[in-house]
Amino acid sequence: MKTLAKKDLIETLTIWAQKHDVLCPTQTDPGDCIFDTFREKTFTLDYKKPPLSPKAVFFPHSEITFKVENNEYREVVSSKNTLIFGIRACDMMGILQATSFMSRDQKDIYYSAKRNMGMTIVMACPGPQNETCFCTTTHSGPFARKGFDLQFYDVGDTFLIEIGTPGGEALLSAIPLTDIDDTHAEQQIAKFQKKALRHLPEVKSVAKAMKKLKDDKADEKIWDSFGQKCITCGGCAFVCPTCTCFSVYDHQFSPGNGLRARIWDACLYGGFTKEASGHNPRASQALRLKRRHEHKLLHYNEIDIQGSLCGCVGCGRCSDYCPVHIGTLEVVKAIAES
Amino acid sequence: MVGLAATFGSGAMTNSINDFDDADLFLVTGSNTTAQHPLIGSRIINAVKRGAKLLLIDPREIPLAEFADLHLRQNIGTDVAVLNGIMNIIIEEELYDKEFVETRTEGFEQLKEIVRKYPPHVVEKISGVASRDLKKAANMYAKADKAMLAYAMGITQHTTGVDNVKSCANLAMLTGHLGRPATGVNPLRGQSNVQGACDMGGLPNVYSGYQPVIDAAAKKKFEDAWGVAALDDKVGLTITDMMIAAQKGELKALFVMGENPLMSDPDTSHIEQALSNLDFLVVQDMFLSETAVKADVVLPAASFAEKEGTYTNTERRVQLSGKAISPPGEARPDWRIICELSTLAGYPMNYSSPADIMKEINAVTPSYAGITHERLAGGYGLQWPCPNVEHPGTPVLHKDKFSKGLGTFLPCEFKPVAEMPDEEYDFMLTTGRIYYHYHTGTMTRRISILEREAPEALLEIHPDDAKKMGIRNNDVVEVTSRRGAVRLKAEITKRVPQSVVFSTFHFHEAPINLLTNSAYDPVAKIPEYKGCAVKIRRCV
Amino acid sequence: MTRTRTVCPFCGCGCSFYLLSERDRVTGIEPSPSNPVNKGMLCVKGWNAHEFIHSPERLTKPLIRKHGEQVESTWDEALKLVADRLLDIKKQFGPRALAFLASAKVTNEENYLFMKMARATFGTNNVDHCARL
Repeated sequence: MKTLAKKDLIETLTIWAQKHDVLCPTQTDPGDCIFDTFREKTFTLDYKKPPLSPKAVFFPHSEITFKVENNEYREVVSSKNTLIFGIRACDMMGILQATSFMSRDQKDIYYSAKRNMGMTIVMACPGPQNETCFCTTTHSGPFARKGFDLQFYDVGDTFLIEIGTPGGEALLSAIPLTDIDDTHAEQQIAKFQKKALRHLPEVKSVAKAMKKLKDDKADEKIWDSFGQKCITCGGCAFVCPTCTCFSVYDHQFSPGNGLRARIWDACLYGGFTKEASGHNPRASQALRLKRRHEHKLLHYNEIDIQGSLCGCVGCGRCSDYCPVHIGTLEVVKAIAES
Repeated sequence: MVGLAATFGSGAMTNSINDFDDADLFLVTGSNTTAQHPLIGSRIINAVKRGAKLLLIDPREIPLAEFADLHLRQNIGTDVAVLNGIMNIIIEEELYDKEFVETRTEGFEQLKEIVRKYPPHVVEKISGVASRDLKKAANMYAKADKAMLAYAMGITQHTTGVDNVKSCANLAMLTGHLGRPATGVNPLRGQSNVQGACDMGGLPNVYSGYQPVIDAAAKKKFEDAWGVAALDDKVGLTITDMMIAAQKGELKALFVMGENPLMSDPDTSHIEQALSNLDFLVVQDMFLSETAVKADVVLPAASFAEKEGTYTNTERRVQLSGKAISPPGEARPDWRIICELSTLAGYPMNYSSPADIMKEINAVTPSYAGITHERLAGGYGLQWPCPNVEHPGTPVLHKDKFSKGLGTFLPCEFKPVAEMPDEEYDFMLTTGRIYYHYHTGTMTRRISILEREAPEALLEIHPDDAKKMGIRNNDVVEVTSRRGAVRLKAEITKRVPQSVVFSTFHFHEAPINLLTNSAYDPVAKIPEYKGCAVKIRRCV
Repeated sequence: MTRTRTVCPFCGCGCSFYLLSERDRVTGIEPSPSNPVNKGMLCVKGWNAHEFIHSPERLTKPLIRKHGEQVESTWDEALKLVADRLLDIKKQFGPRALAFLASAKVTNEENYLFMKMARATFGTNNVDHCARL
């Protein structure tokens, strides 16, 4: 197995940045930690979950899909060599889920073009990032089991590097590595994983809530109470690594000149399910919240890819960033206790 | 702002947004907080869920009402009576903070004198608020340890706006809910930089930092700083007076930067006449707004994303905003346009950047002296007053003493809405915003998702009234006041009380300010958007 | 991709978010996770604040009214016209015949310069803003 000395990480990222747009954890001037284009000065390894998951790289919040210029139609499929360094395992699973969704039936060319040119390097978590992490429960962390090009294990002064794909292996050819005995490396990784898992106990209410929903035994009143306080910001869908709904808008600049763009949409917005007649099958915020959580926790059986029958990757962002505490954790707790 | 300045010596939110997380009780009045300030509204909801009390005084059953421990639905425009009534009970039952009143305030006897005239049964008659609810409210507010009073335009947009604000301030002083964390009188300001526009002297009577234009020393200071001979030493015209002067032909030219008075101001047809009467109208904006259409010259301005600069939020926090992209076409940032125009007009302005302008602001504005771009870039803003570059900013105002020394009780008598409903105009129209749109809609109505969620203006009407008039949901109705008529769809809802209808000013298709009354508060010159008499007819 | 910290252009809360952009196109919004006002959260208006920036209805050139119609002009022409007309009116009717409306939506620096222009350049205290509170 290969290892990379921590002191050589900056050099490594610099080398990769020659051929890729390297996105990595970045400390901004005011003190936020978000993913941004690699710069030596602002790169940090001391990072937690930023509000946006890496889905924003392959499925931007706002993206032009075609343009019409002088009555000529032109499809706009943008893509570039991207390398995301430092993805957490939950977000890696999020990418797999999103990719699976975007590839079903008819392939989404805009997503695929970007995903196909995107390399993913996972940084295995040594434990929870904060109190809302529950990836062990959803079988999506704290280390990735598939999907990554490379996975790094931080074991002090060095990173142990697990290779996931030939593309990942190719990335290693240009950087300063040291060989390490495989058995020793595997022992170290096993130790790392065991410790990480110990710090992330299963959240029992998730399975309980899923069962209750399946048996149709969840108390309907909880949706009313959540619906009453939801401020309809849409943030839960936007920060969710597996939410991929979008809306489109057209801009006409002059006759024969314009564009179409697609933008993130959220199922908690009333207009999301409103029909042309004016009828809305999800007429209340309570019903919309119910549908959202049933979608995540109940209706994922056939397309399950993480062995947990769940459309949630346990990143906890919806709990972190909901202005009124209606995250998955709060919802499953309410269902389980109802 | 005038009301708070008179009482405390400083007109701004006394406390900070983060204080909402620590209060034991909220008195929210004239603020549909979850719609207008959603991320403050959400903090109130969370606080209630952890056990804080919510006392709501609002004629409408706004979303926060579901969380209120007590909701007083007063008749529109009777705020002074209700607040006086609460103070009456607090004094009668000796629930007031005697130490605070003695050591920090003046004018208590005068307050007592006035509020004595507002015993519960009198207030009930004026406001429709039951005596027992009023007593409960007085006890809740007075007995809370950390009580935050928050208000917005529902308090200020009345002919008695200043009296309403003074009454809020009186109540907070009487109970000692001031000068400590998670207390205070907190006006929630409705626009991204309305606080800053005031702070920077976008007012007829003051330079930046509220330095009066009639003060000889302040005038001299600015003459020296700006290198000009004689600045105008008389107070200028407010927007309300400008429109009157334009109608009379005394005002010849108006330069409007980034505003849309033809949608936002009351009694729009009069505004339109005033603007038409001008010799020269300049509008500097991102869009060809309703006002810009009337202009002789329109100057294309950059959006917030296309320029650098600072904005001051409702809690006096000055924050730096960066430039993400270039402006479209030939549009330019407002500051560059002003520099070039001033230079052409014979007074050169050669600033290289907004940071450069801020250096001058630091030098002439004591409350902003320590707020530099350099400091702002490395953090999350600074709350004024911030008198020097070492100063950390001021999260809570009036801690040990008020800006003016002692806080002054300025008691007010109740006066009704200027235009009360009568036999012909039998409904009271009140206006406000909805969650999905902002101000005159120039920005939010160009956002497809927001437009999908709320595509058109609705008139909220009580089911009993609707039934009487044969109005069904989504029927088109015509609302007429003495100033104009507007057609829009009806939404039948108990959010409004009987004989009251509500709508918004976001939609140019139904410009509700055609109807509103331009009668204004004599001091603050804020018009009475929140109440005027209208009649309603179902269109067939 | 570039991320630029900005302040939300809507209500007075002052939520902070990063605008994600590619060259001159905004591609998304990420709320500032550590800002004490919004702590990584936004309301529906904030989350969707990116679309109007690219609206085809944005003004891209100065307009001047000629024979009753607003027609496109150069900056030089438009600014010269504004300066000349304001100075003319000032000369003829005095500075109090001019008035300036500042904005609750633009920056502090711009509002400061605007009131300075009203007072120092054109000599009038007729300066106010549109949201009297």
